[in-house]
Amino acid sequence: MRLIVARCAIDYRGRLSTFLPEAVRLLMIKSDGSVMVHSDRGGYRPENWMVPPTVIEETDEGIVVRKHRGEERLEILISERLSDVSHEMGEAAPLVKDGVERELQELLAAAPATCGDGFRLVRREWPTDIGPVDLMCRDREDDWIAVEIKRTGTIEAVEQLTRYLERIRRDPAMGSCRGVLAAQEIRPQARVLAQGRGIDCVEVDLDVLRGEREPELTLFAA
Amino acid sequence: MKIELKTADLLSDLQSAARVASTRSAVQALAGVQVVAEEAVELRATDVEVGLRLPLRAEVSRPGTVVLPARLMLDVARSLPADEVSLEARATEQDVEVVSGSATFHIRTLRAEDFPPLPDANDEDAVTVPAAEFVATIAQVARSASRDETRPVLTGILVSASGSELRMVATDSYRLSIKETKLEQPLAGELEANVPARALQELARLVAQLEAQELRVSARQNQIVFAIDGAVLSSRLIEGQFPNYRQLLPDSVEHELRLAGGEFAEVVRRISLLAQKNAPLRLGFREGEVTVSAQTPDVGEASEAVPVDFHGESFEIGFNPEFLRDGLESVESGDLVLKLISPLRPGLIESADQGGFVYLVMPIRLNV
Repeated sequence: MRLIVARCAIDYRGRLSTFLPEAVRLLMIKSDGSVMVHSDRGGYRPENWMVPPTVIEETDEGIVVRKHRGEERLEILISERLSDVSHEMGEAAPLVKDGVERELQELLAAAPATCGDGFRLVRREWPTDIGPVDLMCRDREDDWIAVEIKRTGTIEAVEQLTRYLERIRRDPAMGSCRGVLAAQEIRPQARVLAQGRGIDCVEVDLDVLRGEREPELTLFAA
Repeated sequence: MKIELKTADLLSDLQSAARVASTRSAVQALAGVQVVAEEAVELRATDVEVGLRLPLRAEVSRPGTVVLPARLMLDVARSLPADEVSLEARATEQDVEVVSGSATFHIRTLRAEDFPPLPDANDEDAVTVPAAEFVATIAQVARSASRDETRPVLTGILVSASGSELRMVATDSYRLSIKETKLEQPLAGELEANVPARALQELARLVAQLEAQELRVSARQNQIVFAIDGAVLSSRLIEGQFPNYRQLLPDSVEHELRLAGGEFAEVVRRISLLAQKNAPLRLGFREGEVTVSAQTPDVGEASEAVPVDFHGESFEIGFNPEFLRDGLESVESGDLVLKLISPLRPGLIESADQGGFVYLVMPIRLNV
């Protein structure tokens, strides 16, 4: 990771043309080819950026970042370098799930029938090419069920599970894979969207899963 | 389209139509009420699950069809200053002019093409049932239907009718209501369908509004259609296996107690006031009496003893106060029979007069 603090002007040409006049800015150049230009204001979003794959060239005037394909070009015209340091970051630590979400995943992996009658666990963190789905289960008929676990079931969670299902179903053997969104609380809008997409919603009680409270008595297993 | 009618008639129909119109659909027209003016006038509304067609008494000056926002039209109809009102579609402005007395409204119409067709009631296989009995049966079981949309099969009422018997069953997995109604005249056909409780409750309102004597019911492939004095209520049927409720009814019980229904329901209602924040209502049985009690930490406690013909070892059983109250209130007037097995097995409430009503309710575990 290279961090440059410099007085610079930024000239971008691509989908549109923009020009940022000269000012002191932080330039972040990542080893994967991402380049971000930050000012000291404007929140977390960069003022300008380029996503990989990119070609980065240093010139006498500054730095030129080009896309591998296409016409996009970010020219950083540096008049004064205030700082220019590089750090070896090593292997990036994987995203650590929220504590409750991770615990829910562990508890539901141990009791998959909570997510549906007769469910049995095949694998936790079932890999897809866009990320792992939390649980992959099979039911009594041996049908596949992908279970996504959240603290709160939102529209974004339904969208995420929809994306996973789309990838999973590309495998002809799993073409009929169903989806279950399991969460401590599921928002009404998410429920409507899930229903429209044929995804089942299951609200789970963490205290009951932990064994801290007896489940409510019911007339039959619903 | 141009029609003239009484404001009260418009308001009455709009109140029913607005309840059925969707409140959260992405299709704007579903939040609307369709006014169809041909030889007669009809108001239509649907949220895709439930559909309603209501005849509207009106003079048609010019036939046509428009879709108007249901909630807004209802608010407008409520506030009209005169007894008469006219509705006239203005194609160029894409609105409807509503004139009543000196008040004039121009209300933009919704896309009529997006409004789905609704089924009619022409079905030779329809079963005719007496409206009063049908609606009374709904009222006795509807409270047990689940409101949890994650288990759609439980949000319905299983309606069966054949011969001289009409039966409705509803359960949310915590309680189960069964009501069997004997009909004076045997039915010409038969019927079994899991109908959304919401649709049946709407039907009950409609029967009361129209003071209908009879209903014609026809269950088609995936929908049910009720014809009520010219109005048509349709609903999709709920798919999936309804729980096998018969196997839930206990074969034998330990205690069978006869109680004065209304009086006991009053006691439960009173004591439930102190069963807040999910606190259970406790029934403590001992020789000759039952003590109904409740306690909510930081709020208070209440108890009341009721004489009852109880014999045997004392025990205490806890119930969700609302569920117990629902069961007791669903029993028609007169005595009720409370059947119990043990503190963790379901309790059974029946009408003592063989009224055909059964309410099964699961207890709550008591920690102390």
